[in-house]
Amino acid sequence: MQALGERARAARSRGVGEQGGGLATLVLARRGLRDARIRTVSFALLFAVYAYIQPVGYRHAYPTRADRASFASSFGDNKAIRLFYGEPHNLLSVTGYSAWRVGGTLTIFTAIFGLLAAVRALRTEEDSGRTEMVAAGIVGRSMAYLSAMAAVAVGALILWLAEFAGFVAAGLPAGGSAYLALATASVIPVCAGVGALASQLAPTRRTALELGGAIVAVLFLARVIADTSSGLGWLRWATPLGWAEQMRPFAGARPLVLLAPAAASALLLGAAALIAARRDIGAGLLSARDRSRPRLGLLSSPTAAALRGQRATLIVWAAGVGCFALILGVISNSVSSAGISKGIRREIAKLGSGSITTPAGYLAFIFIFFILAISLLACAQVGAARHEEAELRLDTLLALPVSRVRWLGGRLALAAAAAAVISLDAGLLAWLGAASQSVHVSLPRMLEAGVNCLPVALLFLGLAALAYAVVPRASAGIAYGLVAVAFLWQLVGSLIGAPRRLVDLTPFANVGLVPVQPFRTAAAAIMLALAALAVLAALWAFRRRDLVGI
Amino acid sequence: MAAVITAAGLTKRYGTTLALDSLELSVESGEVYGYLGPNGSGKTTTIRLLLGLHRPSAGRAQLFGIDSWRDPVSAHRRVAYVPGEPALWPDLTATETLEFLARVRGGTDIAYRHLLVERFQIESSKKMRALSKGNRQKVALVAALASRADLLILDEPTSGLDPLMEVAFRHSVLEAKDRGQTVFLSSHILTEVEALCDRVGILRAGRLVDSGTLAALRHLSAQVIEVTFAQRAPSLEPLPGVTVTTTGPSTLRFEVTGRLEPLLAALAGHQVATLHSREPSLEEIFLHHYDGSDGHASTG
Repeated sequence: MQALGERARAARSRGVGEQGGGLATLVLARRGLRDARIRTVSFALLFAVYAYIQPVGYRHAYPTRADRASFASSFGDNKAIRLFYGEPHNLLSVTGYSAWRVGGTLTIFTAIFGLLAAVRALRTEEDSGRTEMVAAGIVGRSMAYLSAMAAVAVGALILWLAEFAGFVAAGLPAGGSAYLALATASVIPVCAGVGALASQLAPTRRTALELGGAIVAVLFLARVIADTSSGLGWLRWATPLGWAEQMRPFAGARPLVLLAPAAASALLLGAAALIAARRDIGAGLLSARDRSRPRLGLLSSPTAAALRGQRATLIVWAAGVGCFALILGVISNSVSSAGISKGIRREIAKLGSGSITTPAGYLAFIFIFFILAISLLACAQVGAARHEEAELRLDTLLALPVSRVRWLGGRLALAAAAAAVISLDAGLLAWLGAASQSVHVSLPRMLEAGVNCLPVALLFLGLAALAYAVVPRASAGIAYGLVAVAFLWQLVGSLIGAPRRLVDLTPFANVGLVPVQPFRTAAAAIMLALAALAVLAALWAFRRRDLVGI
Repeated sequence: MAAVITAAGLTKRYGTTLALDSLELSVESGEVYGYLGPNGSGKTTTIRLLLGLHRPSAGRAQLFGIDSWRDPVSAHRRVAYVPGEPALWPDLTATETLEFLARVRGGTDIAYRHLLVERFQIESSKKMRALSKGNRQKVALVAALASRADLLILDEPTSGLDPLMEVAFRHSVLEAKDRGQTVFLSSHILTEVEALCDRVGILRAGRLVDSGTLAALRHLSAQVIEVTFAQRAPSLEPLPGVTVTTTGPSTLRFEVTGRLEPLLAALAGHQVATLHSREPSLEEIFLHHYDGSDGHASTG
């Protein structure tokens, strides 16, 4: 990094033109890294902390071999748990547990990271017109592509190092830790390849993210099915998340499996490079529809137009959440409590998982993830409002007789309504899935589980709005960061034995596990009151600041 | 006549940068006011303060006597605005954009809008993301003009327009003026301002350095006299208030501030073939304010 920085500085001072395209590419790669620094650092912190805290927590919660044996017997066959973490190979040791729990979780994050990083470095740059400027200079389009991907590669390296450092700090052996972190990071180039290809096909950033997101969701789903359905284990070979499992860190390592992600990413990135070198800059292979007959619905107010603009995104959210809820409802049938002692159940509860040994308990546990998803949806809606301002469209809108309170209030009301609909959608479809397997849960209770998502999601909506009103440029990072920290603290706080009072600080610790526990009215009322306060403060602050562009 | 735009001590700081310094401005009803300045002199900052999009660091801005920061919605009811960077919704077609802006404003002159769509050759079914800057600017202009708002605030509205559309624009502004609408036109295209505006303000590094009618500005400026001699141009003694430029082997150009007699006396002994006298162009007035100075150094 240091050497790269110095050479780039030198190139700047001498004038890049004299040095030719090679150094210019370095300068561009460095620029790309800088653009991605907040995302990269956040992910790296998450990886380091998670990789450290899980082995430490495991030793703390299961000190003896007997504890571990009963933990393994209850979890090893629990398909519902496998859904998130994959197939465990050895839950009796710290290393085996870490490979399963940390590896399984973080591959989901590396998949998302790879996709986001590639689309941001390629399609967002192109959307903004910067790629056109770069390619008009001495840097060829292939070099521009290469430098963007080099920046993503450095990001991947940083995540690998962060995870490795977390394991080593937790006392895991260095060699195995490096290999486990490598298995996790092997997902990044493949998903970056998906993002790179989506960026060549789609004409806009949003379409590229939706296309790439759909593919990554399918890859995740393939691993879920492979890990939870007997006889379909071979599906693991069809997805980079499965290859990471097949590398078997700390369980009879199979390093040759690395050839699969290497070949896949070479194929995807190569195809994207070929297209990038041949197509028109600023366009995608799939052409955008540039004309349409006038459709005059949903144009009567700023809020109506916002719904019109967000309609497609919200439908994708509703479909995605509904699809997962349905699958989880079906899977809930396979949970059983046979052979689990009361003591072990308490230990499971320490993992922040509630009593997940009955179908209803499992659904209650799963809905914590829906609370997370709907909180993220709320943040994304505030992000869309910010985007409107950054692109200066808000200048146009607020020069009309539209008050700031009416505009922001409308956007927040839209976000709250979307959160409510998608929460109920999750409850309904989880019930449908469960009912199809004759699992005994009532529809009203499952709808209640959906409604149970709202107090937390609305609280984060209020906090995101407040961040937006006070520090618009940093608001997305703050909002997503708050949700991520609150969620992880809920997962690991109790595992590492933090005092109850500290764990309860996160909103996620203050929801009842509906449908096995009652809806916690008092906590919900407090969260809703805080949300309302945050929204009022946001409206007050937004009324008092300058509009801020990019 | 009532003041449509009033700025009193209007000041804006961004961090340590002083973008606008104690602006005093009054635009009367029915006039076309040209607001001149190079890039970064504070034109857009002024407009954002006038519209209440940014908050004044000191002073106040009023539209129709309504404070535009405290009560922007009331202030905006009689205003239409065309931003310098036409930021519209990429997924909406031109027709949808015009309809949306009209509905949110609460009324527009549909018949006039049809006329403007023809005049500016708007491609109604094209989405905004497929349009060039100039074409998006035309859509924003049509939306503003069709509103028949009492005050039009136009921020460099022709920076992306071709010469034909520029003519359509001038025609439309004069139409608006004939209807008694007030126009605040920020620009750095001097011929446009010269052709349209009754009064002009010149902004430099966040300060209004000159303002008044074009006639008054000219009066205060140097007069230009171009002389062609029968033989080679003579070298004259330096004269007070006269700047000489050699423009050819036998031509000289004089810029005279104040009285003409000393120059005429100096020329009397020479064979003069032709003598042209003309008023300074706005460009010359403008450059006069920026001549050899660091007027471009500020940001805004």
